[in-house]
Amino acid sequence: MSDRALRGTGLVLAVLGVAVAGYLVYVHYAGIDPVCNIAHGCHKVQTSQYADLAGVPVALLGLVGYVILLGALLAPGEPARMLAALVALVGFGFSAYLTYRELFTIDAICQWCVASAILMTGLAIVCTWRLLRTPVPAAAAD
Amino acid sequence: MSQPDSSSKRERRDAARAERIERERADAAGATRRRRLLQLGGLLALAAVVVVAAVLISSGGGSKKSAATSGGALQGVAETAKLLSGIPQSGITLGNPKAKATIVEFADPQCPFCKDYTLNEMPAVIQKYVRAGTAKMELRYLTFIGPDSLTAARVLEAAGLQNKLWNASDLLYRNQGAENSGYITTDFLTKVLKGAGADPARAFAQAGSSAVSSELGAAQTLASRYAVDSTPTVLVGPTGGTLKKAGATPTAASVGAAVDAVLGSSGA
Repeated sequence: MSDRALRGTGLVLAVLGVAVAGYLVYVHYAGIDPVCNIAHGCHKVQTSQYADLAGVPVALLGLVGYVILLGALLAPGEPARMLAALVALVGFGFSAYLTYRELFTIDAICQWCVASAILMTGLAIVCTWRLLRTPVPAAAAD
Repeated sequence: MSQPDSSSKRERRDAARAERIERERADAAGATRRRRLLQLGGLLALAAVVVVAAVLISSGGGSKKSAATSGGALQGVAETAKLLSGIPQSGITLGNPKAKATIVEFADPQCPFCKDYTLNEMPAVIQKYVRAGTAKMELRYLTFIGPDSLTAARVLEAAGLQNKLWNASDLLYRNQGAENSGYITTDFLTKVLKGAGADPARAFAQAGSSAVSSELGAAQTLASRYAVDSTPTVLVGPTGGTLKKAGATPTAASVGAAVDAVLGSSGA
């Protein structure tokens, strides 16, 4: 897969992530229940202890993470690739923890959180792959 | 004769040059790969540190222990007494039994959002409606967070048999610890019961009684009827009539609006 294709895939995933996290931030501050047609556990998850981290809604943290990822994917250079990989790996790790909590502590599944976890997993793969396959600079010829 | 020699020398030089360039390229590629793997290792370590810190914060990390849950004194006894003093209690009901409106709260003793509702929203509802006698409140326990929820709910319901449920519940929330952290011990519940003015020995003796089981079963039945699947959930309606959910996340304003609607329609 070319760098261009990886970058394009990452951008699509990040935009979808902004949409999902943005929706959850909206319903959080509007005080309404998210549309929850599949698993019917959104309210329980969104009002659980794990819906915020040190007083900050997890949805807002997710939105910030996706926006940083979007910016890092658009920016050129190795520091941007490293930042994207770091944010995506952190997002993936925390998403895995939250999914564990949904399954084994809260005993409810929120489809929006699952969607975000899948997007973050994809971003972690894409951003790590992109970091590892940065073109090798040609050796200086005489 | 010198022509082939010269040609052969040049070829050897070119070959050596090509070999050197190839070797340098391979060395550079190897160095780059090593550098990238080191970068990835560093990023993974940094990400792991951030995630572990976030997980510790999210799961409480023992930082949410109140004095009472750590073996210290109970907090908020005076505040609870002041909030509820002079308001009649009977079993799970707080307030005038003949009030026109009924407010039913579904809660889990370990639920932190129930604590938030109890301490930040409910006092205004009690002051405006329950103390005035226009609405009564019922507390229904759902125990989905863990086994400690059931332990606490049984003892609190038993305090209800002494008409001290609301005092005990309010005090427990004021001293709540982290979910499933093991703070709900006999010692902790004894402090809560004493602070609530209940007889702890009697409450522990009645915690396993059929009266308590019956109340918890009734809460489950009512929750199923109104599709209540999370706590805190507050239902409001005319006493003896059909109840309605007072907002996705109950607040003093949403519960107040629901009570006003009931009182308005009943002509109170």
